[in-house]
Amino acid sequence: MKENEKKRHAFHGASKYILDEELAKIVNISIALEMPLLLKGEPGTGKTMLAHAIAENLGLPLIILNVKSSMKLVEALYQYDTLTRLNDSRFGDSKRDVSDIEAYIRMGKIGQSFVSGFKTVLLIDEIDKADTDFQDDMLDVLDQMSFDIIEIDKTVKARHRPVVVITSNAKKDLSDPFLGRCNFHHIAFPEPETMRRIVDVHFPNLGDEMATACIQNFYRLREIGGIEKKPATRELINWIRALRSDPDFKPAILERGDVPYLGVLYKKSADLGLAARAVAKVKR
Amino acid sequence: MFVQFFYILRDRGVPVKPTSFLRLQKALSLGLVTSLDDFYTVARAILVKSERHFDLYDQVFLHHFRGVELKDPEAYELTDIAKALLQEWLKDPAAVAAAFGVAEKELKKMTPEELIRYFLDRLKEQTEAHHGGDRWIGTRGTSPVGHSGTHPGGMRVGGVSRSKSAIKVAMDRRYRDYSQDGPLTQSQMGEALKRLRRMVPAGPKDLVNVDKTIRETLRNAGEIEIVFDRRLTDRLKVILMIDNGGWSMEPYVEIVQTLFNYARSQFKDLRTYYFHNTIYDVVWQDARRYYRPEQLEDFSRRDPETRLILVGDASMSPYELMYAGGALDMSQRSTRPSIDRIKFLSSLFRHSVWLNPAPLWKWAQGGTIGVIRQVFPMFDLTLDGLEAAVRRLAAKN
Repeated sequence: MKENEKKRHAFHGASKYILDEELAKIVNISIALEMPLLLKGEPGTGKTMLAHAIAENLGLPLIILNVKSSMKLVEALYQYDTLTRLNDSRFGDSKRDVSDIEAYIRMGKIGQSFVSGFKTVLLIDEIDKADTDFQDDMLDVLDQMSFDIIEIDKTVKARHRPVVVITSNAKKDLSDPFLGRCNFHHIAFPEPETMRRIVDVHFPNLGDEMATACIQNFYRLREIGGIEKKPATRELINWIRALRSDPDFKPAILERGDVPYLGVLYKKSADLGLAARAVAKVKR
Repeated sequence: MFVQFFYILRDRGVPVKPTSFLRLQKALSLGLVTSLDDFYTVARAILVKSERHFDLYDQVFLHHFRGVELKDPEAYELTDIAKALLQEWLKDPAAVAAAFGVAEKELKKMTPEELIRYFLDRLKEQTEAHHGGDRWIGTRGTSPVGHSGTHPGGMRVGGVSRSKSAIKVAMDRRYRDYSQDGPLTQSQMGEALKRLRRMVPAGPKDLVNVDKTIRETLRNAGEIEIVFDRRLTDRLKVILMIDNGGWSMEPYVEIVQTLFNYARSQFKDLRTYYFHNTIYDVVWQDARRYYRPEQLEDFSRRDPETRLILVGDASMSPYELMYAGGALDMSQRSTRPSIDRIKFLSSLFRHSVWLNPAPLWKWAQGGTIGVIRQVFPMFDLTLDGLEAAVRRLAAKN
């Protein structure tokens, strides 16, 4: 890579994403080593957002592969559209050449990132949903940066190596060969100070008193035991939005231990019940 | 460079691969690492592949680059337990004193530092000689506190007081959430479980059946006739109940973890519950057996075709199983003996098995294993046993 290009491809953080220095370093080293970056962390720590931020920052298009449990690797690479071909051969009213199978090959998300005319960011979201075979085979493809289209006996090679970001929610580890080929980072839940900066980005004119009260309460609420899905950054942002839209709300209400719009923070009814009881206890 | 660092990491149990190490060298040669801070971050991203090892990595890093002494992992854990005990002592001094078998006054004389030291000493005694020892807690001992003991009228200390007792807290440190980790070592286990899947067509017809399409198109004299099918999906419901309590299951933690991990990745509709030794009125959805109890009666509303798999060593004092109110934990004393509850459960689900991680020779000794075997078909938690269990579960009738 030329020096100026290198500069262009270094990552500093994007407009709506608060990035700690450590993570920026890891992203940059992964780009330099041309290795996929595996991100783990509880939901709401901004794993997916990071890929968006990298793409925005480097000025590269983002291609997202949302992994589903039933997904086969070939679907992520390419698809041979037999039905359209059958249809064309029957009615013959399309501009495609029926005898040319290649005209009926459509690229999947990984395929798109390979054939793209310029460098892209490829986000493979929630890899843990797929089975182990999928994961290992996919890493083979990403390692070699090429795959075969069996139907036309053609090898697709990546024209520009995409920046690969993989996210996983799973508590259990991915397979060893998989881990061996990725750089790894675990995004911890943001500290209150970082959270304050995140809130400031989303609500630039939120008062200091309000921000402090909300964040304090938010972290207190996260402490409640037995909650299945703890409120995360997304819930906090929505909660503040809800509080702000309520003309009767004042930060003093929070200081009294009352928590309005608890339902914005807790999405499961059992969690909501638990949280409501815990809040009621504090109020008394 | 940093070869020694690499080896200390390995020594301390961080699974670092040589290839990762070479990659680190490459990263260094790229000139992107300019400070120790950079090195810390970059080396971690490249070498350490799980957040569970982050703490260990930090310790080794501090040791290697800052000369901080490495803690012995075991001592570390004991200190934590001792601290937890101190917390408990502040809440309920009487219970803690009773658990140690000393007068409350004695302990009250000590400063917090002395208390921690005292707890630590007692805990060390305990790690050196439990299981059959005659000191205070442990299993199968002759001490009056502890459980599964042979002391007449011996009584478990846990669960007596309103709040959780000190020893309970200490033991809680030992509990493991089976869902947390466990490297997947025995992939055959997954293969065995896979056979249980029952694939049935379900959902919208959106899958082209090529064979049928060709046949129908031919029948139609070349007019294209596309035939769609429903996709095959796994409709099998599985309930897994795991004994995750107490010391007796401790040796089998690893194998149960493996089972759990595979079960979770294999079955779409898997529900996991936890119990301690045997089943009384409730089982728990959370591994701590505290927050989310579920009444056993409610299981009668489940699909009777659900496969029920119980995992436990089925070893306990006979009274826990046979007598009403035999529960170790006072809070779940029931009016019906556990054996009735187990029979009730087996009447709900005709496809059920009990997987026992205890080795076969232990079964022959009779005891509660023999009793439970009469209720549930029991298989040992080995590959062979698992396959036999799966065959049993997959049977149509």
